[in-house]
Amino acid sequence: MERNPLFVKLSAQPSRALVDERFVVLVQNAVPGSQLTVHALHQCEDGHSWQAFAHYIADAMGTVNVSEDSSLGGTYTGTEAMGLLWSLKPVPGSKPGLRMRKKNVQTPMLVTISVYQGHQTDGFVDQAPLATVVVERWYMAPGVRRIPVTEYGLTATLFLPAGPGPFPGLLDLWGGGGQLVEYRAALLASHGIASLALDYLTCKYSMETKKTVSNQYFEMAYRVLAEHPQILGSRIAMLGLSLGTSITFRTAVYSQVIKLRCAVCISGSHRQPHNSSLEEILSFFHSNADKIRFNEENEVIWRDLLLPIPSDSTNKVEVGQIKCPLLLIVGEDDQNWCAYESAMDMKEMMEKAGNSHLLTLLSYPEAGHLIEPPYTPHVRSSQFRDMSTRQIMMVLWGGQTLGHARAQEDSWKKLLVFLREHLYSSSKPAPLSHL
Amino acid sequence: MAAKDAAMFRARVSVTAIQLLINMEMKPCLSFYSKLPSLQQLSVRWKSGVRPAPFLTATPVRALIDEQISIRGSFLPPHSPITLSARMHSDEGDLWESFAHFNTSASGTFSSTNDHSVGGSYLGCEPMGLFWGMEPAPGSREGLRLRKRNVEAPYVVRISLLEGHVSPSEDQTTELAAVNAERWYLSPGVKRIDTLQNGIVGALFLPPGPGPFPAMLDLWGMGGGLQEYRASLLASKGFASLSLAYIGHKDLPGPPNRVNVGDSYFKAAFQLLQDHPQVISDRVGIIGLSFGCYVTLRIATRTGVKPACLVCINGPVGSTVTLSDSEGRTEIFDSYQKYWTYDDQGYVIFKEVSLPANLPPDSIVELEKLDCPLMYIVGEDDLSASSIENADMIEETLRSAGKPHLFTRLSYPGAGHLIEPPYSPNARASLWSVKPKKLITLWGGHPAPHAAAQEDAWEKVLNFLNANLRR
Repeated sequence: MERNPLFVKLSAQPSRALVDERFVVLVQNAVPGSQLTVHALHQCEDGHSWQAFAHYIADAMGTVNVSEDSSLGGTYTGTEAMGLLWSLKPVPGSKPGLRMRKKNVQTPMLVTISVYQGHQTDGFVDQAPLATVVVERWYMAPGVRRIPVTEYGLTATLFLPAGPGPFPGLLDLWGGGGQLVEYRAALLASHGIASLALDYLTCKYSMETKKTVSNQYFEMAYRVLAEHPQILGSRIAMLGLSLGTSITFRTAVYSQVIKLRCAVCISGSHRQPHNSSLEEILSFFHSNADKIRFNEENEVIWRDLLLPIPSDSTNKVEVGQIKCPLLLIVGEDDQNWCAYESAMDMKEMMEKAGNSHLLTLLSYPEAGHLIEPPYTPHVRSSQFRDMSTRQIMMVLWGGQTLGHARAQEDSWKKLLVFLREHLYSSSKPAPLSHL
Repeated sequence: MAAKDAAMFRARVSVTAIQLLINMEMKPCLSFYSKLPSLQQLSVRWKSGVRPAPFLTATPVRALIDEQISIRGSFLPPHSPITLSARMHSDEGDLWESFAHFNTSASGTFSSTNDHSVGGSYLGCEPMGLFWGMEPAPGSREGLRLRKRNVEAPYVVRISLLEGHVSPSEDQTTELAAVNAERWYLSPGVKRIDTLQNGIVGALFLPPGPGPFPAMLDLWGMGGGLQEYRASLLASKGFASLSLAYIGHKDLPGPPNRVNVGDSYFKAAFQLLQDHPQVISDRVGIIGLSFGCYVTLRIATRTGVKPACLVCINGPVGSTVTLSDSEGRTEIFDSYQKYWTYDDQGYVIFKEVSLPANLPPDSIVELEKLDCPLMYIVGEDDLSASSIENADMIEETLRSAGKPHLFTRLSYPGAGHLIEPPYSPNARASLWSVKPKKLITLWGGHPAPHAAAQEDAWEKVLNFLNANLRR
């Protein structure tokens, strides 16, 4: 019996969710055996459009379940429940070098999901879909409070979970691009951890004085967390990505003021002068500028900057002295930092020092540098303004979309388990190497 | 210890503490606190300043009101009594609340979907009991009924974890953790459009996308006004839906406590939907509750339009009487009051008014003319309408007319008159009118069976609509 394709039913459950939650996209009442394209469209804050699509064949009941059925082609293949989000790419004709990052975390990402007749690959804008739904993807759960922080000269934003607390706290550090990036801290607060997103490169102080912040800046940020009546000073963690890991390693090992309950370092390295300031770390990097390479597309490859890793402790944070649990997350295809090599070296250092029971190492073969919360699109390279040199260039991050997406999903899940275990549990910090 | 004893103990200790304070020098330092051992014993296990509060999650935290949510707690002491409490404000500002008593597992966790409530607003394993078990907070106005007025904003429910087995509105309690859950009547992308053309008073809800869509005309009862919350939900399920006001609305003609519109109005509303460019004109159904059921049957048999299917909930086949508008002003048609009965609390029961034998014969629609599938939903404890008898009449007439296959009946024991979208609390009785005298009417229904009915009926209604409007 021929069914009118206009009666096709499309649903995405849940229609409102946190960005790290899964959804189920279901097409029903299509003609059994018919060819269908499921399409996702998102317009980000800077006006650029991103799209993903996948080709399916409706089963005998006229159903396509994106979580169970196999995509035969499109921006992803195979059974990928969240492929419509992580395989999003700029629409044809877009400016090169785009990267999707949410600035305003108080509004959701809106994604329009449609189903089209046939196996389409382009021209979606000109066609009428069979059905459409809109989903909201949120970085903030209801009740999470967003509090801009300017005391002690900081440029930061505090996100407090709903409820009376007290909550564990976390200092959230991004990398060399600077800016006040809030979305990961907002998401962590949505998971019960009071999180402070900190701008330490393009902060008000640095922009006005043209100077790099001292260690005190980070100590003040820690103080804001530790002194807050709803945050437990004894349960504060630090999370860094890229350059943020340099601060995190230094703090975890050398700081007399900041006492970390645990630390998470994503895509970073322990390579820096011992117990140095941010300025000294940046100079150290610049001194190796001759190691910067370019590929055929003229994309910058920075990963050799800190290689080779010396076998002695020259210019390496002495992680053998770390006293708190440490979670390392690295992508083996990281083209921006030598994160994998550094992680291997740190493992060896800690094994020699006898504190490797504190280390949890997650290494992902096809992941690149930007290992972020899951289901957001991967870009292999993008336009990047390095805040210390002020230059804009096309930087190669690395990673293969599928492997990178898997790494983001897996590492985020394990990161939350790691943080919850160490920040919420009443027992003494325990190793989680079984992760 | 029982909540009352705990409160007494606390009171006694507070007095002791005050005496200690009076006898001591006030020095803001640690040693001061260490001299008050009784206070320290009192302090909640979690607030010793060393451990974070227990971890409470609700998933999904933003959901449509017909979606289940799962509430879990962890990092709690094992085998300990805890109370889960929910509070929210209605659009009118009234506080509604519920609570459930649990005992945590050996690993210090609990789950609302797997564990049993051993006390509170509901008992047993009821994943959504915290929602359908809500009641107005003590001290609230009498006769409240929970109905969403503004469907473009969610209900925000504060779900809290409290220490011990307590009654949140009566006992002194300590909130250990909380999450806010949003409960929506509208999916993202659904558009709301006011429809004041041709004097049709209603709200049209369009699903996202170009369409075209199957559609539903949505009708409520004599309570009047414009109730948008079921139409907005239907649009969230992919049906273009028009909620129609026909009594008790400022934009309708005539006195607000009478039905001043007739068949031509209802026909025009149905055609408005049919003719809409984004609606599939031969896939338009009608859903009606209470008097809205009668309107539904009238449109299907007396106006010439051809609906594709009908859903009737607890309503009559003939005309009952206008009693009051949504603001409580009353004008009574004396000849029909004779069928009102009262219970021992003075609550009015309208049930007899709609007994087929009591209905004016000319008002009874020509049921044999029905030509499309009809689903009739009966609350067996309906005290406002004679639903069973009316359902019997429709079934019998259709059988005699050789069309028994058109009729589907869903019958729910213990369910009352107001069978609405799921997980909202049932009002067994609510305020019907204020003038000339204050009247509370009995709708019927008991909490747990009514909640089960709402959940089951909604799913079956959606399946019925999909089967008839999407083929």
